[in-house]
Amino acid sequence: MTEVNIVNLIKNFSGMTRPAVDNISINIRNGELIALLGPSGCGKTTILKMITGLLTPDNGDILLDKQSILSVPTEKRNVVMVFQNYLLFPYMNVNENVGFSLKMKGDDPKIINKRVQEMLELVKLPDIGERRPKQLSGGQQQRVALARALIANPRLLLLDEPLSNLDAHLRDEMRELITSIQKKLEVTCMFVTHDQEEAVLLADKIALIFDGKLQNFAEPKEFYEKPINVSAAKFFGGVNFIELNKNANYFHSSIGNITSNQTNINELNTKCIATIRPENIKISKENIYQDNFFKGKIKSVIFSGTHTRYKIVINNLNLECSLQSLGIQNIKKEDEVFVNLPKDKIWIMNE
Amino acid sequence: MGGDKTKIILSITPPLLIIILLFYGGIFYGLVQSLGYQPAIGKYEINLDAYYNILFSERYAKLFWTGLALNLWVSFVSTFLAAVLALFAALAIRKTFFGKTVCNFIYSLNLPMPHLVVAVGIIFVFSQSGLLARMLAQLNIIASPGDFPVLVKDKYGVGIILAYIWKESAFFFIILMSVLQSLGENFEELAQSLGANRWQRFRYVILPLVMPSLFSASIIVFAFSFGAYEVPALLGVIYPQMLPVMAFEFFLNPDLNARSEGMALSIIIALIVMILVIFYFWLTQTRIRKD
Repeated sequence: MTEVNIVNLIKNFSGMTRPAVDNISINIRNGELIALLGPSGCGKTTILKMITGLLTPDNGDILLDKQSILSVPTEKRNVVMVFQNYLLFPYMNVNENVGFSLKMKGDDPKIINKRVQEMLELVKLPDIGERRPKQLSGGQQQRVALARALIANPRLLLLDEPLSNLDAHLRDEMRELITSIQKKLEVTCMFVTHDQEEAVLLADKIALIFDGKLQNFAEPKEFYEKPINVSAAKFFGGVNFIELNKNANYFHSSIGNITSNQTNINELNTKCIATIRPENIKISKENIYQDNFFKGKIKSVIFSGTHTRYKIVINNLNLECSLQSLGIQNIKKEDEVFVNLPKDKIWIMNE
Repeated sequence: MGGDKTKIILSITPPLLIIILLFYGGIFYGLVQSLGYQPAIGKYEINLDAYYNILFSERYAKLFWTGLALNLWVSFVSTFLAAVLALFAALAIRKTFFGKTVCNFIYSLNLPMPHLVVAVGIIFVFSQSGLLARMLAQLNIIASPGDFPVLVKDKYGVGIILAYIWKESAFFFIILMSVLQSLGENFEELAQSLGANRWQRFRYVILPLVMPSLFSASIIVFAFSFGAYEVPALLGVIYPQMLPVMAFEFFLNPDLNARSEGMALSIIIALIVMILVIFYFWLTQTRIRKD
């Protein structure tokens, strides 16, 4: 279990117009599983490489249990990275691959064999020790790579896009395995992904990074319900955005006045933006709502099994609403409906 | 389908004919001569006398076995050292640094250089009247150029080994650079994060990854240096003499009776090289099957 503090980390590469990593600070508690989330090229892997020591930061510090590790060489940091393409040594069998770090430490072969067997059992592959990497499926290779990293008993485990090379069903399996092992061993863990769903399902907290800058570091739920800006909201599937002008105790918009239960209204600028997730919008042919309701027209209806998605237009503003298909009202294209934006579900942020 | 087959056969026939007539024809003629068949001097009998003479007779056996030992020594040492030198050069040059292209160019320049030119270069630099001897004498490190050790035309084949190292390390270098560049540095970075120090990364990661290519290239270089003539002819001594030089001298001997021995010697060299090539193909095929 290790506490990690990343402090004002900066990294520039020649030929780039902006820093690859721009003044990023993240604090990770003992045994937490953190996702570095962002689109390709946003600096996620650069951060991992600086933590392992494969890259040197231009500024800032990295602390493990309050001790700076910048002067510690990579091989002595005990920060182990699992690469995206697993990188099992092709000339070694599974046992040799998993036992690699212990061999480098000069451990007794008997101890190595015992630990290798324990790790292979942990990743639920106890009988493949003699196989070569080419004889393994993608999922098996991923588990062996994980076992090889865990056997080193790392202070911090880093995973680079751990699920991106796996099929959909293997992803679910691997996701469960990673979380269960991480909680069982209580190892502090950080992984990189560009997939927000993967980040939400795996991580205790998410650090959202755009263009080398940390946008927000919070629990997954917060990214859905209380995004920090439009980019963050869009990255998490946000589609409904309403431009607002702040007034004393309400917000004016092109579709009418909007009220919100939000407590931090004083922190908002005059010009701000409201967002609401499609599944939180309510629609009805009858007006059964008390506040934040508007008259709109259904532009399209898309049935997708458990849910049905409606595109609604209110005074030239397009909104999307998603309702459970079961027990749905008979609402069709071109129908006029009352649209309710519940004030406890609407989230207002600065532009 | 039939038309396609005919087209393929017709298109490969001319080069095949050239190979069969010129290459295998020459070998066949040499083989016949090595078996004692020389109608020009009235010898029609087929026998293994020339092989026996080369391998066991009092006159030639000592020359052959010392020559074979020298051949093996020169080929093995030069191949090994060229491979080691190229490996370290490739590891040093593969990373991006100022002047990388120039270093790369200088190292690779040896590849198109003719062996003859390299041999002359070795004489200019490493002989007792060469640049190095004169420089050391000028710097008073040695009393006179004559005190410089005999590195060219010496009985241990040092000059020949130097020439092959100079020339063949470029071949190794180009192969290793392409292997290292295709591998990238991820394996080493991974090993480093798993606690491997610099030496362990070299021993347990780089070496096993480049070894298959290095070994294949070594067999090619070994086979070449084992059968090549011009460098040992220029940089070697009369005794012990490397086998290709010995074979050529048999061939040039005005006594046509010695021609059979020369051909027998050439066939023995060819056989050894062929065994190496077959071994190389077996090895690569085994690796492909394994992959």
